[in-house]
Amino acid sequence: MTVVQISFFVLAVASVASALGVITFKNAVHCALSLILTLLFLALFYLQLGAMFIAVVQILIYAGAIMVLFLFVVTMLASEASDTRLADRIPWQRWVAGILGLVLVGALSYLLFTGTSIDNRAVATGANSLSHVVNAQGNTEAFGQALFHGFVYPFEVTSLLIIVALLGAMVLGRKA
Amino acid sequence: MTNLTAGVLLFPLLGFVILGVTGSALPRRMILAVAWGACGLAFLLATISFFSMLGTPPAARTSDQVLYTWVVSGDFQVSFGLLFDPLSATMLMIVTGVGLLIHIYSAGYMEDDPGFWRFFSYMNFFIFAMVLLVSADNFLFLLVGWGLVGLASFLLIGFWYQRRTAVAAAQKALVINIIGDFGLMIAIFLIFRQYGVLNFYNNANGPGVFSALDPATTGNRLQLVIALCLFLACAAKSAQLPLYMWLPDAMEGPTPVSALIHAATMVTAGVYLVARAHPLFELAPTALTIIAVIGGVTALFAATIALFQLDIKRVLAYSTISQLGYMFMGEGVHNYSAGIFHLTTHAYFKALLFLAAGAVIHALGGEQDMRQMGGLRSRLRTTFWTFLVGTLAISGIPPLAGFWSKDEILSSLLAQATANHKAISYLLWGIAIVTVALTAFYMFRLFYGIFMGDYRGSGRASHAGDEEEEEPSRRTAGRFTIHEAPPIMTIPLIILAVLSIIGGLVGSFDLISLSKWRPLTAFLAPVFADVHTMATASFGVEWISTLVSVGFALLGIFAAWRLYGRGFQYKENKNPFYQLLYHKYYVDEILDAVIVQPILWFGRTAARVLEGDVLDGGSRAVAGGLRGISAGLRRLQTGYVRNYALAILIGVVLIILYYAVRG
Amino acid sequence: MPLSAYLIVSAILFTVGVVGVLIRRNPLIIFMSIELMLNAVNLSFVAISSKLDSADGQMFVFIVLTVAAAEVVVGLAIIVSIFRTRRDIDVDDMNLLRG
Repeated sequence: MTVVQISFFVLAVASVASALGVITFKNAVHCALSLILTLLFLALFYLQLGAMFIAVVQILIYAGAIMVLFLFVVTMLASEASDTRLADRIPWQRWVAGILGLVLVGALSYLLFTGTSIDNRAVATGANSLSHVVNAQGNTEAFGQALFHGFVYPFEVTSLLIIVALLGAMVLGRKA
Repeated sequence: MTNLTAGVLLFPLLGFVILGVTGSALPRRMILAVAWGACGLAFLLATISFFSMLGTPPAARTSDQVLYTWVVSGDFQVSFGLLFDPLSATMLMIVTGVGLLIHIYSAGYMEDDPGFWRFFSYMNFFIFAMVLLVSADNFLFLLVGWGLVGLASFLLIGFWYQRRTAVAAAQKALVINIIGDFGLMIAIFLIFRQYGVLNFYNNANGPGVFSALDPATTGNRLQLVIALCLFLACAAKSAQLPLYMWLPDAMEGPTPVSALIHAATMVTAGVYLVARAHPLFELAPTALTIIAVIGGVTALFAATIALFQLDIKRVLAYSTISQLGYMFMGEGVHNYSAGIFHLTTHAYFKALLFLAAGAVIHALGGEQDMRQMGGLRSRLRTTFWTFLVGTLAISGIPPLAGFWSKDEILSSLLAQATANHKAISYLLWGIAIVTVALTAFYMFRLFYGIFMGDYRGSGRASHAGDEEEEEPSRRTAGRFTIHEAPPIMTIPLIILAVLSIIGGLVGSFDLISLSKWRPLTAFLAPVFADVHTMATASFGVEWISTLVSVGFALLGIFAAWRLYGRGFQYKENKNPFYQLLYHKYYVDEILDAVIVQPILWFGRTAARVLEGDVLDGGSRAVAGGLRGISAGLRRLQTGYVRNYALAILIGVVLIILYYAVRG
Repeated sequence: MPLSAYLIVSAILFTVGVVGVLIRRNPLIIFMSIELMLNAVNLSFVAISSKLDSADGQMFVFIVLTVAAAEVVVGLAIIVSIFRTRRDIDVDDMNLLRG
């Protein structure tokens, strides 16, 4: 068992466990904290896969900004932020959802196990290869090069998107 | 030979159209002028043609005139064709002659009726239809006439349409007649299928049915079926068993209608058809036997019912049915000219009897029940004498008309019996003889009941010498003056009485073999020349038949005189046998229970079940089903977002499973 | 580690997120489950990018991240505006569209 394998299993179990925690805790703050934990483990996954920049960006933005926003809203809304005081009006839904969830996982796993492997021709080689650039200049430089050489247009559009979201939030968040 | 049949046909039609369109606006004189003019011209033309025929040699006495080509289909051709031969000439004379007399009579009888113009337009229409029927030269045109006289009968029976009984009677007549029409149509289909043509005789249009008949097919089943289908039509039109029920009810119509249509002419259409289509009947001897038997049974049956009826018109109606039975008996033993002969004499005395009864009814202000009559001999002299003549004629007393024609038939029956020695032939003759006695009995019962004894009604006897005074008080509170009918009504009575006396001599006067003078038979001989199976009566047979029949007639008259000579006393009779006959064997009640009520029940149930439950229910079920489906589907719209998300997940899972299964 | 291992982990995380959306009634927790789903997909992208030795996967993750951020902002604003004045927050209260 190599280090990679052990770390993979540990991370896998931990992330699944915290994900389950997200959906099972009664207190919304506990759920948010659980989600932060899951995001952290995912960042470690990214590190293991060699995407250092993405890993750091994940922690900075997701765990640092988005989840903080979540926590703000959780504390702003209902005092107890718990949804167990009211009776569930469609109690049968949780069983159906559970069964369907298991079916979905099973089907997806089956497909992933028996599905066709990735076409080797899609693997980038030579000068296009990521690892080549990473080895030469480091992950961040590689990321930056890819971003500004191939993905400039989506980059600009996302900035527009952020402005729109900003405006929307300001309008929606105003008191009536 | 001048054949003016087209005029005979078209003048009454013209009269009908004119009166039908403008009649309500015309004054009475104009209406009569048109109606009498149409019928009179028809009679005139028929007479001219008849005498012209007498002037031509017997072999050439057939003329076929085509008015209009109607149907042309490949080789098949049928047209509006008029056949003028001795048989149709005889019928034309009877129809237009008696018709004219009744037209004259009706002017007096219907004078108070608001539907005066309508009556005469219908009468002209009837004359037109009857002329069409007897002069048609092919089966299809005959069918047209057949249907039209049925229509005329319906219109005239239901003339007083505000009366429910009249309308019901008209409907009954129409329904029963349609059964006959059905038989005629089936026969026409079969004839066409077998022979390919529908003309009677060869003419300009092509070959005729009667020429195409093959004697070798005598007794074949097809011939029998054709003959029986034709007879079904005859039985319906001429009120034989089992389709006679409409005729007594048809007395709801005005009395002139009963006289013309239901005594003299329309009901004789069946007799005419058998005579006209006799080649077809000759090929089916079994059918002729059946016809004779039915005729005999009907004659007896109707006579028994007539014995105890109280309505004077009903008695006459049943007597008509009975006499029609005689005509069919004559034709059933192959003696077609005897049947036609009796048709002519019956037209005279039956029309006379009906018109005289009409005079009585008219005098009594509409009374038809014999219990309210009596002692009218002194008040209604002319009517009394003419009625007596008619009664003697129908009873078969020589030398009046009825005797000669009945004797002809009876001796034919006995001749047939002695020729083939079959029990059934003797039985037929026996039935005919018994019916003679019954006829004489009930007719004289009627006669005595109306005219003898004391007046039992509520009217006031008029003073001696009082002539017709149109007093307004005539109809006040049931007390009115009884007076004789005006001349416009009595003159036709007298004419018909004279015809009833001498009319028989035209037919045959060879009784004592002093002279073989049989004008009518000789006249009709060319038409029936192809009938070889008729048994001729020997001298002895004829005398036996004659003596026995006259004896039975006298017996019947004697019995009636003994019982009713002093007038008719009505006694309530509880005897079940009497009740059975009085209620006409309960035939109408039985038919109502067995046929009419089930049909009505079926109609009502079908309306309720088929329309209500099945059709309406079906559409309601569809609507309900759709509503149920939509109600079920509506439950998917819970409003909860989580349910909708679940639905999306179900879709996703299904797609993934599909790919997983597909492999 | 073979690619399919990472993908299976991603699938499991995704399913957990889906079930979370369906089960919880607190809109905030539902939203968190949606974030979980997005992250599971991010994991697949990164894993495939590593296997294919190409930077495209990581680009996608970058874009998804940005969009997720914008989406969270707007979504939370909506949730706040709907549930601001209520005492108990339950998504099932939004059922006016029932048929």
